[in-house]
Amino acid sequence: MSAPSLLRTRAGLLRPTAFISHTNRLFSTTRQSRASDPTPTANRATHFGYETVTESVKQERVAEVFTSVAESYDKMNDLMSLGVHRLWKDHFVSSLNPGATNPIGTPQRILDVAGGTGDIAFRMLQHAHVNNGNPNVHVTISDINPAMLAVGKQRSLSLPASHQSSLSFLEANAEVLPKTIADNSLDLYTVCFGIRNFSNMPAALKEAYRVLKPGGIFACMEFSKVDKYPIFNAIYKQWSFSAIPLIGQLVAGDRDSYQYLVESIERFPSQTEFRDMIAEAGFNIVGKGYEDLTGGVAAIHKGIKPL
Amino acid sequence: MASPCISRAARCLASTARGPIARKTATAPASSPSSLCRRQQQHYHSYDHPSTPPFGPVDREILAAAYKHVPEHGFSLRAIGLGARDAGYPDISSGILPDGQFSLIHYHLVAQRERLADRSRELLEDDSLTSVGDKVAALTWERLVGNRDIIHRWQEALAIMAQPSYLPKSLAELAALSDDIWFLAGDKAVDPSWYTKRAALSMVYSSSELFMTNDRSPSFLETRQFLHRRLGEVQSVGGTVGAVGQWVGFTLNASVNVLRSKGVPI
Repeated sequence: MSAPSLLRTRAGLLRPTAFISHTNRLFSTTRQSRASDPTPTANRATHFGYETVTESVKQERVAEVFTSVAESYDKMNDLMSLGVHRLWKDHFVSSLNPGATNPIGTPQRILDVAGGTGDIAFRMLQHAHVNNGNPNVHVTISDINPAMLAVGKQRSLSLPASHQSSLSFLEANAEVLPKTIADNSLDLYTVCFGIRNFSNMPAALKEAYRVLKPGGIFACMEFSKVDKYPIFNAIYKQWSFSAIPLIGQLVAGDRDSYQYLVESIERFPSQTEFRDMIAEAGFNIVGKGYEDLTGGVAAIHKGIKPL
Repeated sequence: MASPCISRAARCLASTARGPIARKTATAPASSPSSLCRRQQQHYHSYDHPSTPPFGPVDREILAAAYKHVPEHGFSLRAIGLGARDAGYPDISSGILPDGQFSLIHYHLVAQRERLADRSRELLEDDSLTSVGDKVAALTWERLVGNRDIIHRWQEALAIMAQPSYLPKSLAELAALSDDIWFLAGDKAVDPSWYTKRAALSMVYSSSELFMTNDRSPSFLETRQFLHRRLGEVQSVGGTVGAVGQWVGFTLNASVNVLRSKGVPI
C-alpha cells in the first residue's frame, strides 16, 4: 500500500505535469504564484497523504482533490460512512446548541470553515431558527475551494428564504482569514472534516482564536483514531483502505482523490495530540477535550477562548 | 486488593489536591476547606491515583453559577445557559460542557460529596455518636439533607442519570459517596466486608433518596425514619448472614475433622 512507486504513479495520475522530481517541485515558483493566497510558510514541508510536499503544493493539490469531488461529495459521504456522517453532524450541531440564548433572540455569529457544501451550516440554521426560535443567528460558510462553495450555494437555494438571508459565503484560506472578519467577532467557529486538509493547522487554530469572542467556542469534527478497539480498528482500516478508494473509483470516477482521503485520515494526529494543539493555540479545554463518535472513527474537539 | 483503606485515603488526597469544588467553595462563607484531607496531604502521596479533576476552571465557573438556577429551572440547559450568562460568558459557551445537562447533575453530586467531607469533622465531634454505624447513619442523613433545595427537581435528574451514556458516571459517583461515608466514619476494615459494606450503603442511600423525592413531611422526618429502618435492616441481615456463615464454616470444619478421624484421606 505504501510502496513509494505506487504513490508516485498515483501522484502522476492526479497531476499529469507532476513527473518532475520532488526537489524541482520544492523550488518551483510557477506553482507558488498560482496559489490563491500564499501563506508566510508556503515553502515549509508538510504532508499530502503519505507524501511530503511543501505547504503551497499541498494547498494546490487539496484544491484539485476537492474540485474533482465537489459534485459527488454528498453521495460519496453517504456511501463511505454508510450514512453515519449524518448522525455525527446532527449530534455535533445539537451539542453546540446554537441559537439558545437568554433572552431569546440575541444575535449570534457563526463561521463554518471548510463548510463548502453547507452540511453543517444548514443544520446550524435549522437548529437555531426552528428548534430554538432565534432568527438572529447568522452563519458564514467559508471555504478555500470555489467549486465546493458553488455546490453549497446551489444547495442553499432550496432552503427557506429566512435561512437564506442568514447565510453568507466567503472564499478564504482558513490560515489567513480576511480582515473583514474582525478580531473577537464570532460566537462559534466550526470546522468539520476539513482541518486535516489544512497545510498549517497551528496557523489556522491561531486564526480561529483571533476571530472568536472571549468565551466563544472552537468546535471541530474530524476523523480520528480507533486505537481503543483493536478488532473494530482492523475492520475499519480494511474498509477505508480497500473499499473507499474502490467506491471512489466506481461512483465518482476518481480513485486518487479518495486514496488521498484515507491517507490523510491516517496521518491526522490522535485525539489527545490534536487536543494539545488546540490548547497550544490558547484555548481552554473542558473535561478531556474531545468526544469519540462511533468508537473514534470521528471525534469532536472543542475549545473555549478564555474570558 | 492492596489495602483499600489506604487507597481510599490516597484518593481523598488526590481529590483535595485537585480540589474541584472545595477550592471554589472555600471562598463561600458556609463551608470550610476539607481539613481532614488536607491534614493527610502532608503524609501521603499517591502515584497510583493520579488526580483527574472532574471540573476545570471554566466549567466549574459556569456550573457553579448555573447551580443557583436549578431550584427554579431544574437540571436543564436553560439553567446552564443562565449560569453561563451570570458568569460573564456568551450564550454559546454552555456548548463546551461535555455532557450537557448531566454536567450540572454531576456538579451537584460532586459538590455535595465534598461538602459532606467538609462538614464531617464538625458533625462527628458529637459525643453521642460512638459506633461506626451511628456515624454512618449521621453522615448519610447529612448527605440526604444536601438534596433539600433541589429535591423537587431530583426525579428529572434521576431520569437523566439513568440514561445509558450517563449511568456509569452516576454509579461511580454513588460508589465514591458510600466509600467517602465509610471512610469518614472511621471504618478501617480491609477484609471482604469492605465491598459488602459499600454495596449495602449504596443501596440504602439510593432508596432513601428515592423515598425523599416523594416525602412531604416537615423537615423530611419520614425520610429520616426510612433511612434508619433500612440501616437497621442491613445491620440485622448482615449480622444474621455473618452468624449463618460462621455456623456453616464451623460445621464444615468439624465434619472434615470427624471424617479425618475416621481415616478418610482428606
